[in-house]
Amino acid sequence: MSQSAQPPHMIHFAAAFGAGGLLSLMVLFNGTLAAYGSLFFASWVPHLTGTVAALVCLAIMRPKRAKAARPPLWVYLGGVSGAVTVMLTSATLNSALALSGTIALGLAGQMVFSLFADTRGLFGLPQRTPTARDYVSLALITAGSLILIFFGSAT
Amino acid sequence: MIGFALLAILAGVLVSLSRQINGRLALSTSAMESSFWNHIVGLCFITVVAVLAGGLFAGAPEQSPWWAYLGGPVGVIFIAAGSWLIARIGAAQTALLIIAGQMVFGVLLDVWLGAPGNLWARIIGVALILAGMWVSRTGRS
Repeated sequence: MSQSAQPPHMIHFAAAFGAGGLLSLMVLFNGTLAAYGSLFFASWVPHLTGTVAALVCLAIMRPKRAKAARPPLWVYLGGVSGAVTVMLTSATLNSALALSGTIALGLAGQMVFSLFADTRGLFGLPQRTPTARDYVSLALITAGSLILIFFGSAT
Repeated sequence: MIGFALLAILAGVLVSLSRQINGRLALSTSAMESSFWNHIVGLCFITVVAVLAGGLFAGAPEQSPWWAYLGGPVGVIFIAAGSWLIARIGAAQTALLIIAGQMVFGVLLDVWLGAPGNLWARIIGVALILAGMWVSRTGRS
């Protein structure tokens, strides 16, 4: 199931970039909640309203199941991993790392583990071997992100 | 300090791990169903931890502006998009392009909200990110 390392289709490219835009909105919304309530509250509320919103979407869209066979139980645990992330970052935010250090190291961990997962095809996802072009792109986007994180804001 | 640095790196690893697991679930079901399970399982987990740790409703959450409560529905689309993309363009491309979008839209939001910041750093940072995105688009046959 090895894929050739073609650059992404425009639709995938745009969807991922747009999803990043949604993430910056979530950071603003959830961060504002955390400024008034507890960090638990700022994670608990979006999970609660998100559960309701996802149910409404499912009721309207009625997406077909890709496979009739039941997947293994561990595939339902992605939400636990996401919730632990919030708790870890709330601990590091208040350390000497502050916001910029937390974001920068988080991006590093995310990219390294993603590259590792791709080359191994972890968790039943397609295996992919990154090309030299992928690494050039990675270096440029990482450099730009680090400049924005450490020098782009007044914090 | 080293301990906190490792925790921050682990947090990033868990972001990718979560997207991979959700992506695997989407392969068997659908991106939206995967997003639903991500939210309801995460909700149950946070509820248990918050009840054990206490302080869920500490502070003055009722005073926060109404729009701060919109993170949930936005997150549903975000998680569904990630679950859909990861099986199609891989974990690294998904993560990289999401980061690029987060950074560029983050700068636009900061400018729009009037957040103080260094103009040149913003210009150079966004330019490097756009250059990286252009490189990833080149060579498509």
